[in-house]
Amino acid sequence: MKVKVISRILEANDRIAEDNRRLFNEKGIYVINLMSGPGAGKTSLLVKTIEALKDSVSIGVIEGDITGTEDAERIHSTGVPVVQINTGGACHLDANMIEEVLPELPLDSIQLLFIENVGNLVCPAEFNVGEDIKVMLLSVTEGEDKPLKYPLMFQESAALVLNKVDLLPYLDLDMERLKERAMSLNPKLKVFELSCKTGSGLDAWTDYLFRMVAEKNR
Amino acid sequence: MHEVSIAQSILDIILKECEKINCKKINSVTIRVGRASGVVVDSLVFAFDIIKKDTIAEKAELLCEEVPLTAICVNCNKDFISDEEYILNCPYCGKSEFKVIGGRELDILEMDVEEQ
Repeated sequence: MKVKVISRILEANDRIAEDNRRLFNEKGIYVINLMSGPGAGKTSLLVKTIEALKDSVSIGVIEGDITGTEDAERIHSTGVPVVQINTGGACHLDANMIEEVLPELPLDSIQLLFIENVGNLVCPAEFNVGEDIKVMLLSVTEGEDKPLKYPLMFQESAALVLNKVDLLPYLDLDMERLKERAMSLNPKLKVFELSCKTGSGLDAWTDYLFRMVAEKNR
Repeated sequence: MHEVSIAQSILDIILKECEKINCKKINSVTIRVGRASGVVVDSLVFAFDIIKKDTIAEKAELLCEEVPLTAICVNCNKDFISDEEYILNCPYCGKSEFKVIGGRELDILEMDVEEQ
């Protein structure tokens, strides 16, 4: 006997993501799902962003890692509320993991919430967690071929942050080609070039965040 | 990379369905997988075959219908199919603004079960 089932396989995740999104909207929290490969500088970007914005925007962070608490400790030292998720092997965060840790954050006093995903250029792009936007971070040392090899993350992201531009003089990277390839996958992509080490280019990025938070709270 | 958790979701959904209609054995389950869904069908089948043991889906075959990546060009309004997992340009006008209309699917369609 044939039985029609017609059901989205990731429906359970999408439903929880919607619950998260509703809660974030109710509280007026702008949520960014930050994704990159390992070592691109997600935590460094967050530390620099928090330092630049913490007097004008109240920030919270959810740290996703397979194991360990080093990233959460780095965020904690900036003074903003942070909660660590250890996925215990899973290569991405899903909506359920986020829902479970939300009670541990002072949501009423957070305007901008960063969800730092597990370092991985593939799976995090496939799971919604209830975010307003996905942001992809790529360090310029990773090469201009990444848009061709990991197209989904470029397509799903609203913004692309290119980190470690202070290293450009020492690299063979073709920056224009990298941007061209990224933009051809996603013509609406906002691109920021910056260096967390020297601080160059950070202003444009933090101005952008400030505007997005203000817009959500209008 | 997360084919095991997707296989687990499929199994959870079909076992729950079977409970509702009170059937005792699943022969097959058909799913639809988009070319750009990020799922590797071979790995998914492999994972499903391992986790289905000791359930009423023990003998169930996982049948996958692949859906090609399809898009409509925003510039010239033509639709086109890609053999790849991503599209860079419209094959007609070369512009890179387009809307993906198919190829991201990950759905269960039907199952073949034995009553009682």
